Amino acid sequence: MLTELETRLLGVMMMLIMLGMGASLTFKDFRIAFRKPQGILVGLLCQYGIMPFLAYVLAVALGLPPPLAAGLILMGCMPGGTTSNIFTYFSKGVLALSIMMTICSTLVAVALVPVLLEFYSGLRGLPSEYKIPAGNVAQILVVLVVPTLIGIFLRKWNPNVGATIELVGGLLGVVVILFLIVTWVPRNHVLLATTPASAYAAAIGVGVIGMLLGYWLARGLRQDARRARTIALETGIQNGPLGVLIVVLTFEGEMQQNVLLIPVLYSLFIVLTSSAVTLWFRRTTTREDLARDQAKVPTAPAGVQAGKT
Amino acid sequence: MIAGTASVNAPLPALRFSHLAELVRNSSARHADRTAFTTCMPNGMHGSLSFRQVDRLSDAFAAYLREVLGVKAGARIALQTPNGLAFPVVAFGVFKAGCVLVNTNPLYTPAEMEHQLRDSGAEVLVIVDLFANKLEGILERTALRKVVVAEVTQFFSPVPRAVIRAVMKVWNRVLLPVRVPHDRLAQALAQGEAAARAKAGVLATYVQGQGLDTLAALQYTGGTTGVSKGAMLTHGNLLANLEQAYAMGCSHIEEGRECVLTALPLYHIFAFQFNLLCFYAAGGRNILVPNPRPVQNLQRAFDNYPITWVSGVNTLFNALLNEEWFTAFPPKHLKAAVAGGAALQHAVAERWRRVTGTAIAEGYGLTEASPVVCFNPIAGTPRADSIGIPVPGTEVRLVDDAGHPVAAGAAGELVVRGPQVMQGYWQRPQDSAQSLREGWLHTGDIAVMDADGYYRIVDRKKDMILVSGFNVYPNEVEDVIAGMDEVLEVAVIGVPDAQTGEAVRAFVVPQGACTAEAVRAYCKRYLTDYKVPRSVEFRRELPKTPVGKILRKALRAGGAG
Repeated sequence: MLTELETRLLGVMMMLIMLGMGASLTFKDFRIAFRKPQGILVGLLCQYGIMPFLAYVLAVALGLPPPLAAGLILMGCMPGGTTSNIFTYFSKGVLALSIMMTICSTLVAVALVPVLLEFYSGLRGLPSEYKIPAGNVAQILVVLVVPTLIGIFLRKWNPNVGATIELVGGLLGVVVILFLIVTWVPRNHVLLATTPASAYAAAIGVGVIGMLLGYWLARGLRQDARRARTIALETGIQNGPLGVLIVVLTFEGEMQQNVLLIPVLYSLFIVLTSSAVTLWFRRTTTREDLARDQAKVPTAPAGVQAGKT
Repeated sequence: MIAGTASVNAPLPALRFSHLAELVRNSSARHADRTAFTTCMPNGMHGSLSFRQVDRLSDAFAAYLREVLGVKAGARIALQTPNGLAFPVVAFGVFKAGCVLVNTNPLYTPAEMEHQLRDSGAEVLVIVDLFANKLEGILERTALRKVVVAEVTQFFSPVPRAVIRAVMKVWNRVLLPVRVPHDRLAQALAQGEAAARAKAGVLATYVQGQGLDTLAALQYTGGTTGVSKGAMLTHGNLLANLEQAYAMGCSHIEEGRECVLTALPLYHIFAFQFNLLCFYAAGGRNILVPNPRPVQNLQRAFDNYPITWVSGVNTLFNALLNEEWFTAFPPKHLKAAVAGGAALQHAVAERWRRVTGTAIAEGYGLTEASPVVCFNPIAGTPRADSIGIPVPGTEVRLVDDAGHPVAAGAAGELVVRGPQVMQGYWQRPQDSAQSLREGWLHTGDIAVMDADGYYRIVDRKKDMILVSGFNVYPNEVEDVIAGMDEVLEVAVIGVPDAQTGEAVRAFVVPQGACTAEAVRAYCKRYLTDYKVPRSVEFRRELPKTPVGKILRKALRAGGAG
């Protein structure tokens, strides 16, 4: 369980992350994004269609006990994480699409996450004490939209301040995960050692399978390979710190400890799996670029002799 | 002068200044509190200097050169930085010290640096920290007595400066400790300021006895054609060209109200004259972009500042027009754009007009003419594919290989005479004599004059392709191919051919699906058969100079095999 101080610190960091995300944006960016909304719509479909359903299926299939199921479904319903943008950058994906997906899924989250959470928790038949109250989630999300808006205005007001916050926010996304590792793992090594393999499978699986399904759905919906890879990363990478924050603010004591297990495990492992996937995507993109080049260079000016001189 | 092949437009306007130092001091006094320069980084971080600050800091640099280092008037001072606040401070400081500025490309290899430093005999070098280590191993072979190290983030507030430097150091790993002996620019300025304070009135003495005929800059050129030579430009050359360029654009320049995007490097004569000198004289604000590639780096500059003027080359405009953030929200305050450096393609000019609602006025110039020779008057409707008319006080003629004027409407080498034409190449009497004949500067560019006195550049003399005895000008073919939607960029060269002597080859950067056959089929609709590319190669990018001119030479060297 996290101490009062750690909980507050987590809240403050989350605010800063959202402030940073806001500072990376202008209202123009939204208007540009909505000129070609297909990519974002496909992304949202993956985010809120695939992920919660996948979490639910895994919870049922692996027979997870209620606290773990609650944590897993919560992670499934979370919006995209800001770290996905960093991974997209390194995998040579479509950065603008990644950023817009993160932002749109975060904005839509205010309305959608409480509903989805309610629905899948009900479907799984979670005992009421493990249900995360919808109002609670909505409240937290609304509170996070405020710093995002402040970020947008800060950037407009002073580009130096905006750019600094943007950078700090991006770094904090990683810092929060490190913070969790340092504060939570050592105190819970006993718990981690006794955690059933199914919990690990769920925490890792929801990210990896999410990426796979995201890629296939995007391809099925006629996105090109590079955009599909971007959407795959975006789908699989959830906002882990936000999930942790919601659990911490909703549960207490032993219960908090148990529900927190999956969100924390997810946050730890997603960094590793996304890094591996990023390397793979990067290599694929490079190979495709090279192949495209070679395909287009005519080996000999065959059929070109028609040109009279 | 023979009618139809030569023209002189209007008389040269009176020069407002007799020395570049006077321009700086005069404009700084008139616009003291306005912002003169803002460096805009890709992430939006920025630093600015007012006219007053630029004046004070460049005074300090002049005093540093003369009092602290003890260099004499006329000494060559090399400046090797990308666009940033250090550039105007140092360049203006050099003029105020009565010294000669040697603009140096920061991307030069150590061998190129050595050539230019030795050839110019530079005594002091101001270099950006990123590239200072290229001096190792060549320093002792130059005449340099002092190296001063500047930063891209020079004169930024402490926090953005620290953040950017931390990112460059830790993330990009480009900021290495400088291992050659040096002064930091900030220290140099502090020393200079103290020295000037100790000797009141000394600053004015540095330029005493200097005037329009005094050498102001050695501007190196020919790096893309052969050995790099220093064009000797006097204060008179640069100041005359300033008035000439200003005369073509003044209808759209409001004193103290303009904001010009400086994405082209200031060490290049086009941006140096047009952005730096013209707009400083007009009290305008320069938005300096250290690195315009990828073109995404310009987004924050367009977002954050009310840009009224843009100077660029074809590749820059083309790149902007392929960015959604630019085409969806074109700059609202834009009044005019000017293109130079390389031929502006039809398709690019037309799209620019549609997207921004302003025309790109194309001009023509070369380093040896400080640089502007011809321009489309901004006030009129700039003519597509025309370089316009000669700027005031400039004579232009088209001549054949024997130097005789060609018949009206025929193509000939463009030669030019005027107050902006250089004095010759530094310590190269032979090259100078070949280039300057009886006061006429031979440009090596083939042009034709239309009936209304507007000129069109057909191509570089040496880029012309000879296909079975027919002249093919790469520009014409490039212009056609650039009109294809599937083509992002194109360059055309001649390659040796057993049958026809030379054959046309096109290098295409495609966007989306594009085949060699499609390119050739498209060309056949617009071009005579012998002009249609015999072969088409696809590339991911084309080799370019730092200003963005496509290097046909590099394609010939690497692509013909």
